[in-house]
Amino acid sequence: MVTKRRAGRPPEAYLPLPPATFHILLALADGELHGYAIMKGVAARSAGTVRLGPGTLYGSLKRLLQAGLVEEGGERPDPERGDERRRYYRLTPLGLSVVRAEARRLDAMVRAARRKKLIGVRPA
Amino acid sequence: MSAERIYRLLLRAYPPDFRAEYGREMVLLFRDQCRESDVRTIGFWAAVIWDVARSAPALRAEAWCTRGRESTRTIEVIMKLAAILTVLVGVFGILNAMVEWGAGLTGTIGGMHALALVLGVFASALLLAAGAAILRPTQRGRHAPRLALLASLVLIVAARLLHPWMSVFSQLVGIGFPVAILIALYWPRRASPAGA
Repeated sequence: MVTKRRAGRPPEAYLPLPPATFHILLALADGELHGYAIMKGVAARSAGTVRLGPGTLYGSLKRLLQAGLVEEGGERPDPERGDERRRYYRLTPLGLSVVRAEARRLDAMVRAARRKKLIGVRPA
Repeated sequence: MSAERIYRLLLRAYPPDFRAEYGREMVLLFRDQCRESDVRTIGFWAAVIWDVARSAPALRAEAWCTRGRESTRTIEVIMKLAAILTVLVGVFGILNAMVEWGAGLTGTIGGMHALALVLGVFASALLLAAGAAILRPTQRGRHAPRLALLASLVLIVAARLLHPWMSVFSQLVGIGFPVAILIALYWPRRASPAGA
């Protein structure tokens, strides 16, 4: 789990990311989001298989902020919901590099699994 | 009791600092969840409790670790102050022995007293060295100051046996001080990159 900011650490040093962390960073790759939007985005992208509760989401965001992968983008009401002010979060350049590195790592694993015909072929 | 009130009670499982920082956001998010789910189902509350049970202990453990690191820093500051005091006591012990030795030149000092004074000077020098070693830690860590303190303690006890009229103050400082520092050095604590 990512817990500390270390100056000069390459993005690969943060890998592998816990699934919840990867999903949060993936959601933030679209731009600034508040907590509920991140939660909804993760649930939609994973077809409901990954459900982040408030504790898991904000616990992960706290660690990501400490690690410098995510930063706060200010507080404002959600224009769609029009209710109370919400805190927005966005990726830092380091966070973007880390999520890209993790995506490349996962892609390489999927390609290896495909070469071994573990996926992508119909079972006999 | 409303669902939000129950959730606010569940939030107490999280560390106070985390609640202060994210509590309001978490309640807002929970409110959103309530709007889109049926809060009267067991499944909804099972998911809420599972989320708290999964995340709160980890955050508590992180908060304790952070507090542990902070208390280690405080202990290191105290150890530095104790080391400075050790150096001063060592210097004071040497000066005191020299003054007594000067008095002895007038003929009021016996053979055993003179030997006790020499031992006192060595014990004070070892105290001084131990204090300096704590202030400037080496690769060997706290091994050198521990040895110096033990040797100083042995010498002071020997001096006390040779010279039973040693002042109560000298006994308290000469024996009590190294014992206190030794206890502090042997006290288990987390290693810190700052050192002591």
